[in-house]
Amino acid sequence: MNGEQGMQTNGNEVIIETHNLKKLYQMGSETIHALAGVDMQIRRNEYIAIMGPSGSGKSTLMNLIGCLDTPTEGEYVLNGTPVQGLDDDELARIRNREIGFVFQTFNLLPRASALHNVELPLIYAGVSSKVRQEKAKNALARVDLADRTHHKPNELSGGQRQRVAIARALVNDPSIVLADEPTGNLDSKTSEEIMSVFDELHSEGQTIIMVTHEHDIVGHAERVVTLRDGLIESHDARADGLL
Amino acid sequence: MYVLEGIWIALQQVWAHKLKSAFTLIGVIIGITFLIAVITVVEGMNRYVQEDFAGSLFGINTFTVVRRSQISTGSETEERRRRQARNPNLTLHDVDVISAAVPEAWRLAYNSDRGFDEVSYKERRRRNVRLIGGSDGYEALQGWDVEIGRGLTPLDQRRGLKVVVIGSEIADRLFPDVDPVGKQIRIGAHRFNVVGVWESQGGMFGVIRDASILMPFSVYRQTFARNPSEVDEISVKMRSMEEMEAAQIAVEGAMRTDRELRPGQENDFWLQTSSELLDTWDKIVKILFAAIPGLVSISLVVGGIVIMNIMLLSVAGRIQEIGIRKAVGARRRDILIQFLSESATLSVVGAGIGIVFGIGIGKGVEAFTPMPASVPVWGIAVALTLGILVGVGSGLYPAYRAAKQDPIVALRSE
Ligand SMILES: Nc1ncnc2c1ncn2[C@@H]1O[C@H](COP(=O)(O)OP(=O)(O)OP(=O)(O)O)[C@@H](O)[C@H]1O
Ligand SMILES: [Mg+2]
Repeated sequence: MNGEQGMQTNGNEVIIETHNLKKLYQMGSETIHALAGVDMQIRRNEYIAIMGPSGSGKSTLMNLIGCLDTPTEGEYVLNGTPVQGLDDDELARIRNREIGFVFQTFNLLPRASALHNVELPLIYAGVSSKVRQEKAKNALARVDLADRTHHKPNELSGGQRQRVAIARALVNDPSIVLADEPTGNLDSKTSEEIMSVFDELHSEGQTIIMVTHEHDIVGHAERVVTLRDGLIESHDARADGLL
Repeated sequence: MYVLEGIWIALQQVWAHKLKSAFTLIGVIIGITFLIAVITVVEGMNRYVQEDFAGSLFGINTFTVVRRSQISTGSETEERRRRQARNPNLTLHDVDVISAAVPEAWRLAYNSDRGFDEVSYKERRRRNVRLIGGSDGYEALQGWDVEIGRGLTPLDQRRGLKVVVIGSEIADRLFPDVDPVGKQIRIGAHRFNVVGVWESQGGMFGVIRDASILMPFSVYRQTFARNPSEVDEISVKMRSMEEMEAAQIAVEGAMRTDRELRPGQENDFWLQTSSELLDTWDKIVKILFAAIPGLVSISLVVGGIVIMNIMLLSVAGRIQEIGIRKAVGARRRDILIQFLSESATLSVVGAGIGIVFGIGIGKGVEAFTPMPASVPVWGIAVALTLGILVGVGSGLYPAYRAAKQDPIVALRSE
């Protein structure tokens, strides 16, 4: 837990701060420590890769940061707001305004067009239909899908689907984009494409946290956090080099 | 906006699975079809009875003395019906008694009538007509106007001329392309001069005027009456409702005195008014409307249960969708509203189909029977409201199940 001093960020404010974050599952008599007490700070405009073996708690941490799940114990402050203790609706609001999620399995609405999928967060934000369409089209343009607005997910390639998902994550101008193994279902060439999309977003100032297994992808991130057994094993800045 | 989303999804599903949707909605469709069909026909009848029938058959502020009740209300006992069958015939003497009892009557007239097999003009025939022998002023009391020619005059009456005014249906049949006025028609062995044609009354009970032939009472009595001393109906028209009620009492008293009935003894004649008829109709309507809610609610409850099951299946098949929506910021109530709108839309689609079918049946009844149909706006409003209520009611539980899904669990489900 001594990686902080090596950070290369330009003094931006902290937008995520966790303290002793725990997620426990009770399986019969056994208690599973999916997260066993995580302290971390993330500043605006950071690009962080989270690594670790399977079952180490990466997804659990992402879900907590993304307010999809609530911790068993510990504190989590997002953009100055203590998140623990908020009710379902308040969490939904934070997910809507502050978080953009990109999943390994894309998680698009199968019967809806790309445009409608991207509009979805705006619908729940109460944005008018006209503004919604405009923003959704812009977001699709940012991921190079301006010409696929009316395609359904099953009419798109895997890489295109993931780009629709990225557009959906961006459309509400979230504080952070969370990506849990976004290239896990893609071949290596398409993975590179998707990674360059994230690189570009980062260069435009987007804060990104990404879970990944693949070492060459780690090369895109500024900082690598490694989890093991629900705890942070290392907080390496890119400069330290993991590879 | 999730309301629109729900409506849109529901409509897409109905459209994509038309047959399945038809089965899903069958309960609602049947219930609403039945509701609208009954409302349409009853309302049509209701209007007709109130606006046309009662007024034209009996006239306003008019009552009629007859030997016995002609309207079967169903409430009278068999016993009473048998007693009335022993009532003596009305005669011209009764006409004198009644006109003496209400000298202030605006109009007073009497008539006898009978069905008759056939009338003819040259080769053309019309079967099943009604012959009416009316006293002077009968047409005026009935409010019948002539379309062509003239009505009967006091002179026709006094001289006992063999002249008739015929109903429009008879005129159309016997004189398709000539002016009936001045022509001679045959009624049985007798020849009559047509002097006029009544305005067509049309409608369900138009047959009463449109297929009738009116002649002077004295002529009818000599020529067609089965019993020459008999008068079938004696009608009194007053200027107002209050006057009519007072006149009824006076007539009843005079008749009882004349027939030497003891106090407590029942009338051996019958007073008939248009309000009596309306009362009877009201009873029928009440019974019909009392039966609707039971039948309609049974099919709506069944329909609602089917919709609930379909919605539960739909929710179960779309857990992942719910997870996705929650992940991007849908609150519980957003999901709730979406699924409620969806089931309400399904049900309203069913109600809409039911309304169309119901009106179709009403119009069919109107086209193929003499009964009129009329679609009241309130009927459609009730049907749509019921549709929404059934949809929301049957969607509540499935929508609640959808709304309380945990986003993580929902996202993981396949
Ligand atoms: N709902 C649950 N109930 C019980 N245990 C759970 C539940 N969710 C996660 N766990 C456990 O918590 C631990 C961490 O799981 P998590 O999904 O965060 O791992 P991960 O690092 O994302 O692994 P992977 O790389 O395979 O995706 C695992 O041991 C897992 O079995
Ligand atoms: Mg995982």
